[in-house]
Order: sequence, then C-alpha cells, then structure tokens
Amino acid sequence: MIQLFNVCKAYQRDQNALNDVTLKVEKGEFVYLTGPSGAGKSTLLKLLYCAERPTRGQILVNGRNVTRYGPARIPYLRRNLGIIFQDFKLLKRRTVFENVAFPLEVQGRKRFEISKKVYQALKSVGLEHRLNHYPLQLSGGEQQRVAVARALVVDPLILLADEPTGNLDPEVTLDIMGLFKGANARGTTIIMATHDRSLIREFPRRIVSLDAGRLANDDLPLFRGTAVKAGQP
Amino acid sequence: MLLRSGYFLKRALRNMRQSPVLSLASIGTVAVALALLAFFAIAVLNVQQLTASWGENLAVVAYLEDVPEQKVVNGWIKEVESYPEVAKVTFVSRKAALERFSQRLGDDADLIEGLGEDVLPASLEIALGSEWRSKSSLTSVVERLRKDQRFSDLQYGQGWLEKLEAFLLLLRVAGSALGGFLVFAALIIVANTIKLTLYARQDELEAMAMVGGTSLFIKLPYLVEGALQGLLGGLTALGLSFLVFQIILQKTLGSLLLITGIDTIHFLPPVWQGSLVVGGGLIGLMGSLFALRKFVRFGVS
Repeated sequence: MIQLFNVCKAYQRDQNALNDVTLKVEKGEFVYLTGPSGAGKSTLLKLLYCAERPTRGQILVNGRNVTRYGPARIPYLRRNLGIIFQDFKLLKRRTVFENVAFPLEVQGRKRFEISKKVYQALKSVGLEHRLNHYPLQLSGGEQQRVAVARALVVDPLILLADEPTGNLDPEVTLDIMGLFKGANARGTTIIMATHDRSLIREFPRRIVSLDAGRLANDDLPLFRGTAVKAGQP
Repeated sequence: MLLRSGYFLKRALRNMRQSPVLSLASIGTVAVALALLAFFAIAVLNVQQLTASWGENLAVVAYLEDVPEQKVVNGWIKEVESYPEVAKVTFVSRKAALERFSQRLGDDADLIEGLGEDVLPASLEIALGSEWRSKSSLTSVVERLRKDQRFSDLQYGQGWLEKLEAFLLLLRVAGSALGGFLVFAALIIVANTIKLTLYARQDELEAMAMVGGTSLFIKLPYLVEGALQGLLGGLTALGLSFLVFQIILQKTLGSLLLITGIDTIHFLPPVWQGSLVVGGGLIGLMGSLFALRKFVRFGVS
C-alpha cells in the first residue's frame, strides 16, 4: 500500500530531516511511527500526503509514484486518504455536520448521500447529537472525534494521523484508539505518529522508529513473536 | 462545476454573513475608491462637455469683396456646403452685418449712426459639422477657400482652436492617467483588504486542501465573495456619488457654477453607471484572485 525507497528530505542544505528511509507498509496494516521530537515523523507523513516533496528517493502510495505529483493531482490523492492532526484543523466557522460533510462535498457527492454518510460517521464517533454545534463549542476530545469522523467518512484507503492523541486526556485517547482500531478492522491502513509509549503498550502494533531522520527500528509487536531489521521493507 | 454554482454562491453569502466586519471593510474600500473615481469622472465629463460646447461656435468667415446677385450667392453657398466638413453656410449681407454690429454695441449703437450701409463687408459664415470640429478639418476648409479668388479675406479662430485641442488632449491624457491610477490603487487596496480576511481564514483554507479540495473548489466561494463585495461596493459608490451630485453639485454649487458658464451639470451616463457597478465586481474578483494566489498552494514546498 505504501512504499518508500531511499527517501531523503532536507529543508536546508546538509540538514536532512529524513535520511535514506526505506519502508514498506502492507494493505490493512496499523503502524506506529515513533521517535523523539525532530526525528522526522511529521515529515514522513507530510511526504505521504504530498505537503512536502522528497529531496531524493521515490514514494509509492497505493501503487502510484506520488514523488512528482503536481498541484492538480494532489487533491485526488488526498481524497483516498484520511488525515488527522494534533490540532484537529477543523473549519471553525462551519458546524460539526458541515465539517464532516466537506470531504464529500469536495468529491461532488449527492446531498442525500452526504447527509446519510455524515450522520453515520458522527454516530460512529458518538457525536450525532452535536451536529449543529460549532467546533469551538466542543471539548478537545470531541473536536478530535469530529476530525476522525471527517477522515473516515470517505472510507479512506489510508489513515495518516500525526500525534492525534497528543492533546487529549487518557480516557479520550482510549476512545480515539478504539475508533482507529475499528477503521483498521474494516481494512483501512493506518500510520500513526506518536511518542506515547503507554499507548503502544495498550494497543500493540508494528512500530517504526525514527531517530535523527533515519529508520532506527522496525519491529513487529512482540506478541506476534517476530521482528524485522531496521531498513528492511 | 457550473451545476454547483448555487453551492458556491451560498457559501460566499454565508462567509459574508459570518464575517460582517471584514465584509463591510471590503465593501467600504471598494465604495470609497470607486466613489472617488466617479467624482473624478463627473468632473472630467462636465469639463469635456463644456469645452465641446465652445467648439460649436467654430466657424470660418469668408468676406466678400463684391457682393454679386443673390442667385450667384446661392450658388456659392451650395458649392461650399458640398464640402464634407461643412454643415451650414449662412450669407450675411452688408446691411445685416451692420445691424448685428449695432446690436452688439447696445447703448453705444449711436456711435455708428450715420454710417453708410456698405461700411462692413458682406460675408459667408461657414459652420463645420460636429464631427469635423478639429484643427485639421478647419485648415483643410480654409486651404480650399484660400485658393478661391472670390473670397477676399478669411477669418477663423485657429489659435483658439489649437489651445482648445491642446486643452482637450491634456484633459484626456490626465483623465486617463488619473483614472487608471485610481483603479489601480482601488485594486491594490481591495486585494490587501481581502488578503487580511484570508489571513483570518488561513487555517480553513489549509484544512480544505487537506481533505482533497481542488484549487478551484477552494477558491471559488472566495472569488464569488470578492465579486459580490465589489458589486455592492460599486453600487454604494454609485449611490454615494449620486447623493453628492444632487446635494453638493446641483443644489449648493449650482448657482456658483452658472457664473463659470456651466448651465447644466451632468451626472454619469447610464453606461458609465453600469460600468462603475460592474467594475466594482471586477475589482473585487481580481482582488480576491491576487490575494488567493498566495494562500492555496496545497502546502507543497
């Protein structure tokens, strides 16, 4: 589903945010992207949704080389992705319903279909009673659940989450993880950047560790009893 | 995309409702800039009409040494009237010339009392057609008349015409330059005002790009919003300039202007009024377009 071949990204000369990263994520996998701040987690995710371009190397998403995608093709790539941020990035002047409906409006779906899918998505995150509220009227946890509903309403092939629980309390974090697990069980490939060790212990999945832009470790969870070497696809 | 025009219009109207202060700032900016332009246009238009009316008196007077029979004179009139530049030829007999002079003297008419009827020469007054009131046409008519021995002397306001033409040219050039500058200034101000509104919505634009909105899909509501604000600004400018025209120019300054020879002050003709409103819409649209270039880039570095 996702393949990176010797990917480098430098924002400044001689300062690589990512250095020779080779990685393969299979369809339906759930992968944690971990590492200290500045390790390159967000950069790697940005490369996947084409907010940044690699300085070197190739990236395949769903079988397509997105490395040189121009601005006209990027929106169509993103329609197959669900992207979740630590700061939610909701449209503050739109209601919860409108926020979740937006990705479907972008795709030109029919109004009836939009209403139905948005209601189902909001119900799945337990916010169907808040559909006429504005984001700033909701708690942080509720806002993140709206962001999850917005990401999942399009049935994305891949869910990219950048520290989605970073600002949330443990109880809400568990809720959000439950939603991710559900999406993963329905076949969505998930890559989630986090430094939360306890979360990884609670929901053990494949862990890809980055350190100073390099792939430091690529471990399958211990309960599966296997591990792979860093850098091996 | 056209089928979804209702969606974009709805979004644009909603954006305006949700940010009334910013919307009013944009509308106000367009209105002030275009009202200034309208006042300037009213001034130029009226000065142009005034100077054009001066040109209506433009004529060549061909004095006749000897006055032939009326039949011959009529033949000459027909001949000169056949020139394409000439609109009308009037024969002024010696007697008529003297009467006219006497009238002009008014109370001092007794000064010429006792003078013979033949003291002033007879003449042909040759008026040019409105589209021929230029220095070149006048010179061309005069050249042809000069070759004719029948006319002893020719009088025409060449020096005056040159000055009038130079003045009209200056007015046209200065008018175009200042008008162009005002439109450009309005565009820059509007673009910057809209840019300020977009700074407030930068997160929103970014979020739209992240869920797969195409550049056009994201930009269109803002472009429609800019155009609507521009149209409203244009309408406000039209109303404002009409109000100023009615209250200040017509009522307060009307009598003062009469002294300068301007008997009627004209408001902008309908085509100009329409252009002001449509121009407002275009300025709003262009302003949004300039401002949006910077904001919707999909975060691609």
